[in-house]
Amino acid sequence: MDFRFSDDQLTLTESVREYLAGTHGPEVLRRLDEQGNRDPAIWQGLVEMGLTGLLVPEEHGGLGLGLVEAALIAAECGRACLAEPLVDTAFVAVPWLVRRGELGDLAAIAAGERQVPLPHVLNPWVADGTGQPIQSVDPLRNLVMFPAAGSSDPYLLDLGALMSAAQLVGLADAMLHQAVEYAKIRTQFGQPVGAFQALKHQLASCAVAIEFAKPAVWRAAQALQDGGDSASVHVSHAKVAAGDAALLTAETAIQVHGAMGYTYEVDLHFWMKRSWALNGAWGDRAWHLKRIDQAVIGGALPIGPEHTFA
Amino acid sequence: MDLAYTPEQQAFRAEVRAWMDAHVPKEPLVTLECREGYDQHVAWERTLASGNWGMVTWPEAYGGRGLDLIQWLIFEEEYFRAGGPNRANQNGIFLLGPTIMEFGTEEQKARFLPPMARGEVIWAQAWSEPGAGSDMAAIQSKAVRDGDHYVITGQKTWSSRAAFADWGFGIFRTDPDSKRHKGLTFILFDLNSPGITRRPIRQLHGDTGFAELFFDEVRVPVENCLAGEGEGWNVAMATAGFERGLMLRSPGRFQATAKRLVELYRAHEAEASPAAREAVLQAWMQTQTYAYNTYAVASKIMAGGKIGAEASLNKIFWSELDRMMHRTAMQILGAHAELKRFGNGKINQWLEGYIFSLSGPIYAGSNEVQRNIIAERLLGLPRVGAG
Repeated sequence: MDFRFSDDQLTLTESVREYLAGTHGPEVLRRLDEQGNRDPAIWQGLVEMGLTGLLVPEEHGGLGLGLVEAALIAAECGRACLAEPLVDTAFVAVPWLVRRGELGDLAAIAAGERQVPLPHVLNPWVADGTGQPIQSVDPLRNLVMFPAAGSSDPYLLDLGALMSAAQLVGLADAMLHQAVEYAKIRTQFGQPVGAFQALKHQLASCAVAIEFAKPAVWRAAQALQDGGDSASVHVSHAKVAAGDAALLTAETAIQVHGAMGYTYEVDLHFWMKRSWALNGAWGDRAWHLKRIDQAVIGGALPIGPEHTFA
Repeated sequence: MDLAYTPEQQAFRAEVRAWMDAHVPKEPLVTLECREGYDQHVAWERTLASGNWGMVTWPEAYGGRGLDLIQWLIFEEEYFRAGGPNRANQNGIFLLGPTIMEFGTEEQKARFLPPMARGEVIWAQAWSEPGAGSDMAAIQSKAVRDGDHYVITGQKTWSSRAAFADWGFGIFRTDPDSKRHKGLTFILFDLNSPGITRRPIRQLHGDTGFAELFFDEVRVPVENCLAGEGEGWNVAMATAGFERGLMLRSPGRFQATAKRLVELYRAHEAEASPAAREAVLQAWMQTQTYAYNTYAVASKIMAGGKIGAEASLNKIFWSELDRMMHRTAMQILGAHAELKRFGNGKINQWLEGYIFSLSGPIYAGSNEVQRNIIAERLLGLPRVGAG
């Protein structure tokens, strides 16, 4: 029993965070917003970091890592509000294809030559697929209606929900950081607005919500990796907790920015809109609560102090 | 990350479970906040000690079992699974004990820890004063050095357990010219010393859980000072860190409450509101994530890490969670919520628990103070009043 990440996991996460912070700042999001949403150079950078092959088995040209590493990187993608479809292809599609024994495309995926958007019956549209375009509130999310009905495989849904949850905690972290930085420099009544307890306490509440959403995400990632019976419930828990933390932080962050927060000019809206989109994707809040309900109130899952890791 | 217990950990769990099943009182004890209940709880502390379960993480030389924090969590889970009573000596074993372990001399460890583990000396805390609540640095009670003694004069209040306990600890101003955080010293004192008057305070529920303490030239030997003279603030902050961060409220306590809440909901499902249903699911989710977080903190400390200001995140989370769970139970109980005993004669423990849960966001540093700490020390926002 050891609820810590390994040094390797932390080093990998840190390197991705630094890479994205250096190459994928808000100015990049603005450029993409004006110039077609996608940039092959950004994708190539992710490929060269090995991220498209993170979960691809080594014999197919990947790194052969697991869902905990993928969740950590997905959180960094959320933090950077990454627009490229890395998470959907590399962290959702790849483990699903591996589970199904469909290994033909893995080498191409690892090499960054192939992107695999996967529709699920709970998601009538997919990001970065081919089909009739539809518009998301998130300006960088390239949605298309998927012509055929998607898969109904619960494992695919669990992967999508887990990776959405991981992105949501990263998005929440970033929005809290933006709000805090703004509160430090915006002065009113002769002092930074961040010195007022009315703002401090709201921001502190976001920090609490994020702090206590993250362990649910990491635990869900480990559970799905280990493949226990209860993994789906833990994924649902992660999705609800991460979505709630992100939406609370989004609303608080716009409030802290005041009227500036309501403009297209301030960076915040990219992160806020991604949070709204992912909160409803791969099973919305009601859907995941229902799955928790069936386990907890329905009695399928053992509960109580001695069942922390049931 | 490895979320499986080792065979040794599983064997330890089985050992705790067997002992608890055999020894935990079948009927709930009378509340700790009155003489009869206090005596029952102290007797339970001694029963625990007879099984060597007083404080499992301490070295054997001090009355413990030398176990690690994961084993402590397993112990706590089994303790609350079995419905173990509240710990009469929690101020000692969870707050002062770890503080003595960190700051005490070998003599102090040998003198104070074993009787604490055995439940022979029950401890009260003495932090607050009438003018020093959330603003603890405003402490005025004085300890004046006189040869090999301090002479304490002043007043403490909201002293948990002080109505009945044996010893107390707190910080006192040893430098009369000092201000705020400086010049304070952490002192342990016998509550039966001449010059101490205890005035029990009747609490919200009508019983006397805490007391005022009046000190009238109370002589305390200097060897009862923990760490150095003038180090009191730093020592107190470490104690508060244990209180907020890890030990005082282990997750098992809340997970047991969540389980009882689920069972209550099932029994009242037909008439309960959809909002109550979602709150019950939140109870399970939040108690689980609190447990994961505690395992993460324990793992970090075992690897040599420390608890910092993030303890404030913890304190807010468990105190507001506990209040939410009991509020939900009161809503589910509806008209029955006000009854002190139900028709079957059983005590309405949800009502008692709800009243107690209202103190959670206040004690151990009010949640407003915790939010200031988070904002200033974790988020880096300017201090209150900064220009």
